Amino acid sequence: MLASLVNVTKRYRTTEGVRDLTLHFPAGQIVGVLGLNGSGKSTLLKLIAGLLFPTAGEISVFGGTPRGNRARTVFLGETDTLWPWMTPADAGRFMDGLYSDFDPVRFGELLDVLEVPRRKTKAMSKGERGRLRLAMALARSAKLYLLDEPLAGIDLISREKIMMSLVREWHTDETILLSTHEVAEAEGLFERAVYLRDGGLVLDVAVEELRRDGKSVVQTFKEVLA
Amino acid sequence: MRRFRTLLWLEHRRSWIWSVALLGSLAFWAWGIKQVRVWDVAERLGIRAGLLAMACAIGTVVLCLMIGRIRSETRHGQYQVLLLTPPSGYSHIAARYLYVAGVAFAYFITIGFLYWWIMALAGIHLDATTLVELVLAVPFYAISVSVLPLLAWTLLLMVFISAYRVSGPGWIPGTVMLLGTPFALRWLIDGVVRVSYSLPGWRLFANAPAALIERFGSPDPETTMQVNEILYNGVPIEPLLILLALTVALLVLAGRIWQEVEA
Repeated sequence: MLASLVNVTKRYRTTEGVRDLTLHFPAGQIVGVLGLNGSGKSTLLKLIAGLLFPTAGEISVFGGTPRGNRARTVFLGETDTLWPWMTPADAGRFMDGLYSDFDPVRFGELLDVLEVPRRKTKAMSKGERGRLRLAMALARSAKLYLLDEPLAGIDLISREKIMMSLVREWHTDETILLSTHEVAEAEGLFERAVYLRDGGLVLDVAVEELRRDGKSVVQTFKEVLA
Repeated sequence: MRRFRTLLWLEHRRSWIWSVALLGSLAFWAWGIKQVRVWDVAERLGIRAGLLAMACAIGTVVLCLMIGRIRSETRHGQYQVLLLTPPSGYSHIAARYLYVAGVAFAYFITIGFLYWWIMALAGIHLDATTLVELVLAVPFYAISVSVLPLLAWTLLLMVFISAYRVSGPGWIPGTVMLLGTPFALRWLIDGVVRVSYSLPGWRLFANAPAALIERFGSPDPETTMQVNEILYNGVPIEPLLILLALTVALLVLAGRIWQEVEA
C-alpha cells in the first residue's frame, strides 16, 4: 500500500477539514478525489503530502510518516507557488538540485509538449504557470503523485494539454490522486473515485463498477453530492 | 552537499538585489564621507566615523529585513514548496542564515576598509597589523556579538510566526516572545558583563597609539593611562563565545520549528 489513512481527522480552529477518514491507496491507480468546495479534498492531499498533521488517526506513506517520505511523493498544490523571478531553467535547476528522482531531459521534453514559454513566471499567464508546475511535478520519477486542482482556472487548451501529459507520463506502478472540479473532463482518467462531503467519505468506488451499473462519475457526483 | 548548494543558490536568487543594494550603498556612504569638509582634522574624522557608524546601524536593519522575509513567502505559497523539499528544516535555516551572514561579513569588512580610508584621509597611517585588525578582527568581533545573534533571533521569530499561523493561536507566544525580548536582552547583557574578563582578553590595536600620537601628538597623562588600560586588557572573549553559542541555539530552535510547520 503506498498510502493509508486510518480514522484520520483534521481539525482546524473552528472547523473540521476531514473527519474520520479511512482510505487505502495501492500502487497503480489514478484516483479522482471529488467533492464540492470545502469538502476536504485539499486537506486530504495535504495530509498525505505531510503539509498538515492529523489531529487524530494514523497516516502511513510508503510505510512511514508523510513528512519523512516527502522526497518520494510529488505534491502539486492548487495555489500558484513559484517565485516570480523563476524561469523554466531556474525551476529545472531548483528541482534537479533538490530531488534525486528529477529527470532534466524529461523536464525539457515536458516543457516542449506543454508549450511552456522560456520566460520568468511573473511574465507568464496562469495557464502557462500551471503547465510549468505540472512539468516540474511530472519530471520526477515518484510513485505517488498528489495533484490538487491542477486544472483550476486554466483555459481549455491548457487543460487538454495537462490531461494528455498525465495520461502520457503515467506508469502502471504509479498512483495519482487528482482532485478536480472539472469532473466531466477528467472522468476518462479515473479508475477509482473518492467522493467527499463536509470532510467525510461519502463513496469510494471503482469507476468500472459505476460503468457496470450504467452510471458515469459525473452522474454519481451529482447524485451523491447534490 | 548538492542540495545545500542548491538552497544557497536559491537564497542568492531570492536576495541578490538586496545584497547588491546593500553593498552598493557603501559607495553612497563613501561619497558622503568625502563631502564632509570641516576644517578641524579631529572633528572631521569624528563626523566621518559617525557616518560610518550610521551605515553600520542601517545595514544591520536591512540585513534583518532580508533574513525575515518568510512572511511574504508564506502568503504567496513558496514556503509550501520549500517545506516539501527533501532537505531538513535545519538545512533550510542554515542556508538562509549563511547567505545573509556572508553578506553581513562582506558589508562590515568593507566598512572596516572605509574606517581605514578616513584615517588615511586624516593623516593617520596604520601599520599592516593594525590594518588587518581593523578590517578583519574588529568586524568579526563586532558582528559576532551583535549582528549574528540578532539575525538568528529575527529568523527564529519569523519562522515561529509562520509556523503557528495555521494551527493555533500562535500570536500569543509570538507576542510574549516580542515583549519578553527587552527583558531577556537585559538579563543576557548583565550575565555577559558579570562573566567578562574571566578569561584573558583579546588584545587589539596594540600599535595604534603610536600612529595616533604621531598624527595628533601625545594626549594628557590621564587619557594615556585609560587608553593603555584598555589596550592591556583587550576586548573580552566571553561575550563572543556566549553570543556565538546563543546564535547556534537560536538557529537549532528555528530548524526544529521548521520541521513542525504546517502549510
